[in-house]
Amino acid sequence: MQREQPGRAALPWLLPSFLLLALFYLYPVFEALRLAFTDARLFDATTTLSLGSITGLWGSAPLATVLRNTLAYTLGSVLGQLALGLCIALLVVRAERARLRGTLVLRTIVLAAWVIPAIANGIIWQLLFSEAPFGAINSALRLIGLAPVAWLSDPGNAMISAILATIWQGTAYSMILLYAALRSIDQSLYEAAAIDNATGFERFWFITLPHLRPALLVNAILIMIMTLNMFDTVLALTGGGPGRATEVLSLFAYNTVFRGFELGRGAALSLLLLVISLVLTVCLTLLLPKGRK
Amino acid sequence: MASLEIKRIAKTFGAQSVLPGISLEVPDKEFVVILGPSGCGKSTLLRIVAGLEIASAGSVSFGGAPVDHLSPGQRNVAMVFQNYALYPHLSVAANIGFGLRRATLSRKEKRAAVQEIARLLEIESLLDRRPSELSGGQRQRVAMGRAIIRKPAVFLFDEPLSNLDARLRLQMRAEIRALHRKLPTTTLYVTHDQVEAMTMADRVVVMREGRIEQIGTPDEIYCAPQSIFVAQFIGMPAMNIVSARLDRSNSALTIAGERFAMPEFWPDEKALDGEVTLGLRPEHLSLSRTGAGLRANVDQIEPMGSETLVYLYHHGTRLCARTPPETRLASGSEVKLGLNLNRAVLFDPVTQKALYRPNPYESTTGETQWK
Repeated sequence: MQREQPGRAALPWLLPSFLLLALFYLYPVFEALRLAFTDARLFDATTTLSLGSITGLWGSAPLATVLRNTLAYTLGSVLGQLALGLCIALLVVRAERARLRGTLVLRTIVLAAWVIPAIANGIIWQLLFSEAPFGAINSALRLIGLAPVAWLSDPGNAMISAILATIWQGTAYSMILLYAALRSIDQSLYEAAAIDNATGFERFWFITLPHLRPALLVNAILIMIMTLNMFDTVLALTGGGPGRATEVLSLFAYNTVFRGFELGRGAALSLLLLVISLVLTVCLTLLLPKGRK
Repeated sequence: MASLEIKRIAKTFGAQSVLPGISLEVPDKEFVVILGPSGCGKSTLLRIVAGLEIASAGSVSFGGAPVDHLSPGQRNVAMVFQNYALYPHLSVAANIGFGLRRATLSRKEKRAAVQEIARLLEIESLLDRRPSELSGGQRQRVAMGRAIIRKPAVFLFDEPLSNLDARLRLQMRAEIRALHRKLPTTTLYVTHDQVEAMTMADRVVVMREGRIEQIGTPDEIYCAPQSIFVAQFIGMPAMNIVSARLDRSNSALTIAGERFAMPEFWPDEKALDGEVTLGLRPEHLSLSRTGAGLRANVDQIEPMGSETLVYLYHHGTRLCARTPPETRLASGSEVKLGLNLNRAVLFDPVTQKALYRPNPYESTTGETQWK
């Protein structure tokens, strides 16, 4: 007996999840698209179709600053999270191979940072960076006789502080992904390399790194999207300031809608964010190794 | 090129002792196969020789010089792993040439060296490929190429053929042997496959539970096992083991009441009197419908093409006879078993060690050897 082709009969079964996804994912995207072509304001019922929200982005001085901030923030956070995550993952794997105790505790501690909500993370780091007498980092600096640093009030330092806070939280995620990838590397490759008299760097370069390439790229894509969309940490830490020194694109969109009440313009900004994410994701995906047989 | 000397090597993992203390000498250029069931410590021993595992006690020397303090890379050994352990992101040529990274050779000389190895192993056309694009046998060859290009003092193989199918295994066995003839290098080869051991080794080391049961040529291991363990571990099917009674005064051997004349060249030793355990290979049992011999009942026959194996029961003991291919017997039928006692091995029923072993290199009635 021939098996029935799953054609139209499957549709009713797919419908509920399709509706759910459409309602919560597609509808907002289309709504943002529609709003971007209007001059809608949050507390103004009368909206007219207009290209003003989109064309207004062109040559907008704050947007140029915001895009520069976004680039610095994303690049710094992604690279930092990848590098630190890789270091910790290498350390944990190495400790496990040497059968040292405490690797589980180490992994758990690193993960603890990740389960903290981003907004809380921002507040925690605000307390740490605080230039008031209770600021933990400056207190520590004073203890060892160093001058306090203007972590959040200096425009140059504020971006570094925001990146540090984001790295601290996101490292756990990248560590777990890379740890899993490291664990899957065949141990006999390292033994073969040991017999071939390979140095530690050669082992890392010829075995570890090529094996990690797909994981590093996937990791980079995921962290990049998360960082581009991240505004709560920055909101709680600096609120985008001083001035616009740490105002990233997602925060700028948020501020435009919920502080400036310019719904149409905010929608145009979020579309811009979506396009940037998509383009970067496609670029990174092209670097992924093609499936070999 | 170097001889290999293993002196009282011991290894414990936590409270578990894997090797209680093993000594073994491999002369220069000899091909030695370490054979044993899984978990007998043979791979651990190999890894200690390679330097991948640190011995708890004892010492390893190459050409008389201890290498215990040297890292695997400094020992000048080459190893072929069970899963080949090829670097997946390097081409075949780069894999083979990996060991030459720090050799004082020009780029051209290195390429020539890789070419030469590739020609030797007949993989010249594969040099640009990645390991993932190769078949199991080709990967095996690349792994060997990577090993031999460095002209190591000692060659180590860790079950290199286990991942290949039967036909390829047969072919690679012959190729590894041929390679050893072309490039004679001291070789330690670990396997659990007795056919590999029998066909490839100059000498076989049979291991059991961390100890060496017997060291000998394949012939010695097969024809003159030193213990019941070796007798039953080697040979497919295993050696037949039967309880018997020796009566020196009457020159008679009795098995379950059946009397046989004792071969006259069995030595006149006190130990060879009374209860013994008799070991006979299946090819030294012969079947007849009538005539002299042990009465036995056919249990099962296995036609193998070139021969027919007949499994029988004699007083509850299962025996096997290797018979001509045309043998056809009904299950349950009664036959007489003739024993070629000239090739029999006698074991002590208590210690399980051999009391008398025939000389594997002598004809059946010739001189015998005492051990």
